[in-house]
Amino acid sequence: MSTKAEVLSKLAIRTEVVKPKRIVFVIRPEDLRKVFEELIKTFGPESFYLSTIVGVDLPAENKMRLDYYVHFIPEGETVVIRTFIDRSNPVIDSIIDIVPGALAGECETFDLLGIVFRGNPYLKRGFFVPVDLVQKGIHPLRKDSGV
Amino acid sequence: MAVKEDRYKLVRYSPWLLHFNTGACNGCDIEVLAAITPLYDPERFGIKLAPSVRHGDILIVTGAVTKKAAERLKRLYEQMPCPKFVVAVGACAISGGVFAKSYSVVGGVDKVIPVDVYIPGCPPRPEAILDGIVKLLKMIEEGRAVSKCEHKG
Ligand code: SF4
Repeated sequence: MSTKAEVLSKLAIRTEVVKPKRIVFVIRPEDLRKVFEELIKTFGPESFYLSTIVGVDLPAENKMRLDYYVHFIPEGETVVIRTFIDRSNPVIDSIIDIVPGALAGECETFDLLGIVFRGNPYLKRGFFVPVDLVQKGIHPLRKDSGV
Repeated sequence: MAVKEDRYKLVRYSPWLLHFNTGACNGCDIEVLAAITPLYDPERFGIKLAPSVRHGDILIVTGAVTKKAAERLKRLYEQMPCPKFVVAVGACAISGGVFAKSYSVVGGVDKVIPVDVYIPGCPPRPEAILDGIVKLLKMIEEGRAVSKCEHKG
């Protein structure tokens, strides 16, 4: 049986190591669903859980970075599945239909950064962001949001 | 004893606390919880945790008040029976602390509801928290703290 790292490496463009037991797999955004489908298919839906989704605005590169922190339960290891999307059109596929635990992470990232998760019907402004910012249409974690 | 004080008698004998986090980093919450453990034995002052806000006498607020928590804090305060007192625990609850100018923060607790006692620290020690509550009881006894609710009990 192949290890989780091997399965992830196959779909990754490159890997980085932040610290031991914290490998970063950089993937193409269009492969995101494929990565999670592959994990579920090979190891079963209960072999991992998605702790959180972290979005970072990178205006200098005109990109936004998305980090999916995935914790493998039997191994007690956390890996990061990282992808970059275009800042002027921040859209990526939702994974809530295959990984329901992604709901809060996707809704939060949409609210704070304005990244649209295609296929997630629950996205709405004001999930975390106060109503006055929502009315002004501000995504507070964007570097140029001015808050 | 003056007549005015009689309505506070129950609070002075056995104040029931209600703890609410309006946006704390969890540091203050841990200290509040530690303060109500047998190690610090708050029951020697009659201090207990209230099972519901409608049984609460003293509201312990931790953390900077976020815009979203402000509405809830106000609602919680209004649900408490009179007389009621408020204790702000930690730098954040006093003024907003390190989060003071954040886009999502209103500021300290006193921006939303009246506060009787401020306990500084980041976070304050459990002894300091208990000391603040005991000082409040003393203030009530001496008539220096008056419950600020509108409907007179
Ligand atoms: S005062 Fe310090 S410990 Fe308390 S909530 Fe604020 S940052 Fe946390």
